[in-house]
Amino acid sequence: MKKLSRKTFLRRPWGVGVMAIILVFPSLLFSQPKEIPIGSVQAVTGVISDIGIAMRRGNQLAVDDINARGGIKSMGGAKLKLLLADYEAKEEVARSESERLIKEGAVCLVGPFLSGAAMTVATLCEQRSIPFVIDVAAADDITQKGFKHTFRTFAISTNFANNMLLYMTQIMKEKNVSRIRGVVTNTGDLFGRVQGATFLKFVKEKKFPIDVLAHIEYPLGIQDLSAEVSKIKTLKPDVLFPITRPGDAKLMVTELYKQRVPLMGILGPGSPGLYEPEFIRDMKALSEYVMDNVPWVNPKGKMYAEVNARFSKLYPGKYIDTNSGYAYLAVMVIADALERAKSTKSADLVAALRKTYLRQDLMVGGAVTFDAKGDNSNADSAMIQIQGGAVKVVLPDKAAEAKYVFPWPKQLWDRGM
Amino acid sequence: MNVTLLLQLAVSGFLLGGVYSLIALGLSLIFGVMKVINFAHGEMMVWGMYVAYTLLLWTGVDPFLSFLVSAACLFLLGYALQRTVVNRIIDFPEAMQVLPLVGMGMVFENSARLVWGPDYISPRSRFSLSSLSLGDLMIDVPKLLAFSLAIIITIAVLLFLKKTDTGKAIRAAADNRTGALLVGTDVNRIYAVCFGIGAACVGAAGGLLVPIMPLSPHIGAPFTLLSFIIVILGGMGSLSGAMVGGLIIGVAESIGPELITSLFHGAGLDLDFPHTMKQVVSFFILIVIMLLRPQGIFGGRRG
Repeated sequence: MKKLSRKTFLRRPWGVGVMAIILVFPSLLFSQPKEIPIGSVQAVTGVISDIGIAMRRGNQLAVDDINARGGIKSMGGAKLKLLLADYEAKEEVARSESERLIKEGAVCLVGPFLSGAAMTVATLCEQRSIPFVIDVAAADDITQKGFKHTFRTFAISTNFANNMLLYMTQIMKEKNVSRIRGVVTNTGDLFGRVQGATFLKFVKEKKFPIDVLAHIEYPLGIQDLSAEVSKIKTLKPDVLFPITRPGDAKLMVTELYKQRVPLMGILGPGSPGLYEPEFIRDMKALSEYVMDNVPWVNPKGKMYAEVNARFSKLYPGKYIDTNSGYAYLAVMVIADALERAKSTKSADLVAALRKTYLRQDLMVGGAVTFDAKGDNSNADSAMIQIQGGAVKVVLPDKAAEAKYVFPWPKQLWDRGM
Repeated sequence: MNVTLLLQLAVSGFLLGGVYSLIALGLSLIFGVMKVINFAHGEMMVWGMYVAYTLLLWTGVDPFLSFLVSAACLFLLGYALQRTVVNRIIDFPEAMQVLPLVGMGMVFENSARLVWGPDYISPRSRFSLSSLSLGDLMIDVPKLLAFSLAIIITIAVLLFLKKTDTGKAIRAAADNRTGALLVGTDVNRIYAVCFGIGAACVGAAGGLLVPIMPLSPHIGAPFTLLSFIIVILGGMGSLSGAMVGGLIIGVAESIGPELITSLFHGAGLDLDFPHTMKQVVSFFILIVIMLLRPQGIFGGRRG
């Protein structure tokens, strides 16, 4: 083939055209704002792929929103680019996939829901000096290793337990319940264990009037809970305090129905699985009056109304919940830090993240700001309850959309299912 | 020791064990005839579940009827899989047979995710919330129905293998492949039919499980492992072994943690056997059986 030399190139009419364009519009080559890659580490396949996909969507929506508003203005309108990784709900994959994202140039990582995976990614990011903003993952331990590059927008297990007892105090006082016989159940992964153990520790240390009859742990991804529910039934508790995930949440409620376990209510001390649209869609009347203490969306927030409207339009049948909400917020935190850092250098970004004060009314709680450990000091949880087929914030009073119903007025099997 | 609780656990475990048996039956049949372990077994079960779920959604047909459609669809899938993938690897060393089937498992799982989405689905069907009470005991109706149908299907498969010509040809091919070829059996077709029947069993089991457990694309893999344990326990390739193995594992996983906890308490130890370690019970039984009877409970000399 004939080689194309500079002379022959310029002799061609189109060659001249290209040169002219480059000369006249140098901006095409030189001042195009560069892209800033951010790595999103979510479990879009595997045991919690439903949650993982919702969170990736939350991350992506935030990136799209920032880009639509002109990108990172202090850096010449540089656009964010989300690099995607799927860790399949496996810790070892979380590490290797994060490593890949860092190699591909991610300036910051965001993710990953499972506390075990968060720990792995945080360790890696510490070694590689890459900032890591945890959107969701609650186990206290993650930020107690003295990591300098890890920040967490989500609430920690201690915060969950604290709030749970606060809300329980109010409920028991208002409903004249002096003592509650309860059973605590949780999944056997890092989050489930820490969440269950922290709740139990608080009940014990504060001598809270809950008699814990049993603490039942079962494997994550379990497909039959009949044995566990049979055990719960023989203990005759007033309240079940479950820490579940979407699959076992449905199994639990169905088994409680089938085995006719009488209860005053189900109160999650901070549990996924009890507020997702699929839980309400499939469980119908059985989901009614289920309560859960979660870092929920702020139903009165302007930002929430706006983001939720677009999210529901993009993904019909879905709404912004704890996970997709925090996934959105965490990317906003990164964008805010980039804006102030005016740089993608790790040290600058970490310094900016440390000084974060991002006002928001997407989720309950105040502006996002990090303490010395990297935890969001203003992350907070609300008590939600399913009423009339929708999630309602019922406590604290200042954020409440509806009054809570406790004990539930009808047992599960009296609800005409 | 709470006798009612243990009895309740035994009953639930026994009923679920029946369905486990049906899942394992397919695996055992395929292994017994082709000496291939179907590592995509659990994922094929999930496809059976989704077929029954889709029919329920579109036509309202109860999974306790539409499991027949699941079985038919999975038969075709199994037949095609044998012809296209398994037949090519049938003479390969075991280690090399594993990979294509594990790969097919991934293909099945992720294509289900693409088609039906990642969410856990618990569709309402006629019997999904039914239970009967017998004194203090609660009998889960969907599990009882699934158990009964699983037993009927198992007997039907056994009769098919014993009485029909195709069944006899399958057994002949299993017994001596060269011999079967020499007397004019189309072994490739027989293998494909056999793989289809194995897949149909697991597809039917999937359909029967729809009213019992939430379905999601990823739930298959643990069932492959479970049926593998059952098959080894009962004896590789033994169909009655798969039946008994399923029941043993069902009861053991259900009753194990509570029984062991009761034993601990009886011995004056303040220890609870955690439910997270359910599978330890099945593996323990497996190891004991392997030590005492390496060919499995019903395994013959070939095992």
